[in-house]
Amino acid sequence: MASREVQFISDEGCVRSPSATAVAGKYWAIFRTQLLNSLAYPVDLLGRSLLIVLFMWIFMNLWRVTYGATGARSIAGLTLADTMWYLMMAEAVMLSKHELSETMSEQVKDGSVAYLLNKPYNFILYHFATGLGDSVLAFGGNLIIGSAVVWLMVGPPPGIAGWVFAFLAVVLAWLLDFCFSALIGLSAFVVEETAAFRWIYQKFLLLLGGVLIPLDFFPGWLQTISLNLPFAWIIYGPARLFVDPSLVRLGQVFLQQGIWLAVVGGAVWVFYRRAAVRLAINGG
Amino acid sequence: MFRHLPFVLALWKTNLLSAMEYRVSFLTQMVGMMLNNAIYFVFWVIFFARFEEINGWDLVDMFFLFGVVATGFGAGTYLFGNAVRLSSLIAEGQMDYYLSLPRPVLLHALASRSNASSAGDFIYGLFSFGAAVFYTGTFGGMMVLRFALGCLAAIAVLISFLVLVQSLTFWIGNTDLLRRNAFNAIVTFSLYPITLFDGTAKLLLFTLIPAAFIGALPAEFVRRFDLMQLVQICAGSAVFLFLAVFVFYRGLRRYESGSAIQVRT
Repeated sequence: MASREVQFISDEGCVRSPSATAVAGKYWAIFRTQLLNSLAYPVDLLGRSLLIVLFMWIFMNLWRVTYGATGARSIAGLTLADTMWYLMMAEAVMLSKHELSETMSEQVKDGSVAYLLNKPYNFILYHFATGLGDSVLAFGGNLIIGSAVVWLMVGPPPGIAGWVFAFLAVVLAWLLDFCFSALIGLSAFVVEETAAFRWIYQKFLLLLGGVLIPLDFFPGWLQTISLNLPFAWIIYGPARLFVDPSLVRLGQVFLQQGIWLAVVGGAVWVFYRRAAVRLAINGG
Repeated sequence: MFRHLPFVLALWKTNLLSAMEYRVSFLTQMVGMMLNNAIYFVFWVIFFARFEEINGWDLVDMFFLFGVVATGFGAGTYLFGNAVRLSSLIAEGQMDYYLSLPRPVLLHALASRSNASSAGDFIYGLFSFGAAVFYTGTFGGMMVLRFALGCLAAIAVLISFLVLVQSLTFWIGNTDLLRRNAFNAIVTFSLYPITLFDGTAKLLLFTLIPAAFIGALPAEFVRRFDLMQLVQICAGSAVFLFLAVFVFYRGLRRYESGSAIQVRT
């Protein structure tokens, strides 16, 4: 099915494509609506952010005992404080991800996808705009609460460069994660149940992405494998940049994210076009 | 209590037959959950390959821990599937159906649904226990008995905790957020070695978030017999079961009917 970008009728009666600004404005409006919608439920937002306190507390206990047992000040170049700030950023990204795959999969299964496909916007971009609107606020909440907790535990955060570089990388990380979520969600066009794919993807992020443990602590062979997979550039890339910011590392993260975005994003586009053609909607 | 056993067995049989109507979905979720757990466990394999042990806990302890937690969690949420969505049933007035029938309301409500993915947790737990036995090289009837007892205790405390938390819906209305956070907390804490936590935290894990009764305590008991631990496991299960039933039925007096017409086939 062709993209359903809105088209305008010109004065001469010809159909003309909208300008890039008009298209961007449309998705900006969707993003802003979702942002305002999330802001309308501050208690829910705060509740979602409380989970990071739990995880940081467990991680602090685990890594304090581990560093104490090894007797080393740093492991693989990371001190206890570095490890905790790394894990805070990794968890903030992980916990603020919008579960797009679940939403899309439900829409395909219950048929409500039909109401979205005939609207004057692209189905995929619409979901990206709403997901981003949700993630931005959740990320902010997780970052504020998580930082406060970790600061109390291990001292002040890394310098300003770490924050700036990490934020830049997080935007591309969300985009890459969105592509994976879209692939999983769209697979509902083909398979009956997509939950298993979602769980496994999340576990890949936890393990090979570096949410549970920095990839630097892996044995060499597993580190090499992990760094050659896309999951590391959704979590590990931004989190490692946060505690060890450098232009070289920033360039490496952007390059890897760019390559994987092209690969996975391309797959989403092809899969979406084929899946939409296969779509059969019954009833009215 | 045992007079309700045929009724509960009939519910479980119906749930299974219902799941078998969508067997591809059932199998996908089951296998997916097993893979999901296995990938998560790789974290501990990597961790202990590098650090060997933390405060006396090693990889074999983690196999025992995952064995008890996954089996208990899987069996509990499979057999009493509505335990994870009781707050919705209460808040949306869906308890009317169970109230109108001459059966124990809580038992009927909890056992009326099964989660397919929980079967995957259950089977994974058995594999993990098998791996623990393989690595320790100590297998016997007593160990299997201790494992069964540990899993039963885990089921009792987990389901009781979920019922307790969600029974608050009778008093404060929407507890969806509380349920999600409580669920995440108890599952997360139960999967970490208890030796990581100090006195105050340990007290918390035996009371407010009773994850120790679901994970560490039964796992240690399965590995080696300890009379004191046996007493703790039995007492903990009995107390939480009693509290859950008591609080639920006290709350039920405040239940407001949804007055919705529901058809169940």
